[in-house]
Amino acid sequence: MAEWDEISEALADYTVSCNENARLRKMQRDWTRVLHFICSDTADTFTMDVDKGEIVATVAGHVGVPDIVVTTTSETFCDMFWGDLNPVQKYLRGEIAVKGSQEDVLRLDAISYVIWPDA
Amino acid sequence: MGEQPAEAVITLRRSVGTSTATATSAGLAFAAIDYLGVVSILAYAPGATAAFAILIGGLVVVLVSAIFAELNGLYPTAAGIRLYLGRAIGNRTALSVTFTYMTTVVLVIAADAFLIGAAVRHVLREPAALAYVWIIVLLAVALAANLRGVRIAGWVQTVVTYTVLAGTSILSVVALFHVGGAFRHPLDLFGKGTFSGIQAVAFALFLYAAFEWVTTTAEEARTPRVITRALFVAPVLIWIVATLFALALAHLVSFSTLHASAYPQLLLGRAALGTVGELWMLALTVLTALNTFNGGFLVASRFIYAAAREGNLPRQFARLNMNAVPWLAVTALAVTSSVVAAIVFATGQWLLLVSVGAAIECAIYAVGSLCLLILRSRVDRKRPFKVIAGRPLASFGVVLFSVLFVATAFADPKDPSHFSVAPFSVIAVLGAISTTYVLAVVPRLQRAAAARNAASRPRRRPVREPASEQGAPETVD
Repeated sequence: MAEWDEISEALADYTVSCNENARLRKMQRDWTRVLHFICSDTADTFTMDVDKGEIVATVAGHVGVPDIVVTTTSETFCDMFWGDLNPVQKYLRGEIAVKGSQEDVLRLDAISYVIWPDA
Repeated sequence: MGEQPAEAVITLRRSVGTSTATATSAGLAFAAIDYLGVVSILAYAPGATAAFAILIGGLVVVLVSAIFAELNGLYPTAAGIRLYLGRAIGNRTALSVTFTYMTTVVLVIAADAFLIGAAVRHVLREPAALAYVWIIVLLAVALAANLRGVRIAGWVQTVVTYTVLAGTSILSVVALFHVGGAFRHPLDLFGKGTFSGIQAVAFALFLYAAFEWVTTTAEEARTPRVITRALFVAPVLIWIVATLFALALAHLVSFSTLHASAYPQLLLGRAALGTVGELWMLALTVLTALNTFNGGFLVASRFIYAAAREGNLPRQFARLNMNAVPWLAVTALAVTSSVVAAIVFATGQWLLLVSVGAAIECAIYAVGSLCLLILRSRVDRKRPFKVIAGRPLASFGVVLFSVLFVATAFADPKDPSHFSVAPFSVIAVLGAISTTYVLAVVPRLQRAAAARNAASRPRRRPVREPASEQGAPETVD
């Protein structure tokens, strides 16, 4: 079970990796979404605000009406944000639950894929 | 994975309601190939008996709706079919079945491309060779739109689907005024042989085929009930439209004319309203391409992308273009569809595709019933929708759909009185390719991916001491 500061550290690294990746920013230029995250084991929640492909804020708690809701364990979130696991494998095994359109599910995975193509 | 109490009460900004989900379900099922599917039913159930077969097929589909509604409620995800097949019959078998199932997408796209191309060529009075040019043009347009990331909005899909269904119904009703209620062969289900009735019902099932793919939109639905409602309402719409069309076609156009034609809907249009009716049906036929091509490319390419990301297909298939579209997957689908369409064009075996599609759908429904049966024993979790008498009904489903599979897979698509192994042979080849691939190639791909990762990529997450004292969540931007 990961503590909140671990998730927050992973999120910070993820945000930098995303925002500094020019290819990803260009690919996601038309993607503006509010994402809600739920840790199923710790009940921690957080929100990510993406504006035209740029992660502009990640805050604790749920803010605004979400376009996508991602639910999994805190450990999985940490590994995912550090790029240490393949989100699609977890998703297809039902270990990551996503509420949102199929297109948004692909876009979400595309972020990990573009930043860490070997994961 | 743990319980997710918070997720159930969250409403998405963009969520799918019942009318959109129903349109998606009906739109996925109702393609240009369905007009030809009605001709296949008429080959086994002449005259008004076709309507009887479509009714029985519809009643059988209610069982399918119930089974998929329970499975979807259990695993409400776009990966649903992979997930519940994997949990019930093992991951490798699930992968083989899903790969074979996905080939039906290519078959339907190819068949539809051929049929729409043939219909356009017929109305424009062009030489036969130009039909393939139309096929390539249609597929190229769909490919270009998909590569640019153009998505048909939900409301466009809803409008198109209801236009096609309403337009077909209106023309069929107009045509039925010519008939005046004098229906032939009202209940002659076994008039063309002992198994003709079973074969007619199997082909009637094909008219509804793919309606269950609406379960892939489960994650967008406002509530799980939206998908359940769509699974039950969409078949009713298809039943009404297909029945009207079959009755009109059976009584206004001779079967000998229909049997040799790739565009029965145009023949009915001309018989009912002359040139206006023909153009009317041509417009509806072209409209079906919007749903079939875009829906087909979208669903299948995302499946290929996910399979490649999972390590079950070469990772090149997961490559994205600057519009975040898996370009190689979409292009491969378009090229494969055009090749299959060329084979259909050269051989004229479009009825074989209907048989193969119908048989694969019956097999999937049998497997779905089996999954329900197994998961009732293995997964003791509350379901949003639970089939009453689920175990006996699922057992009945396994037997019924297996019989229908055999009836379709071993029937001569062109002559109801003849036995043929052609449809089964095609399915067996597709299944053998999928299984061989899963058993021989997938393990190699996964070993290579694991070796590549171990060699090139150390773990990035910092190692922490087990005990730590942390505060409450704070802003981390």
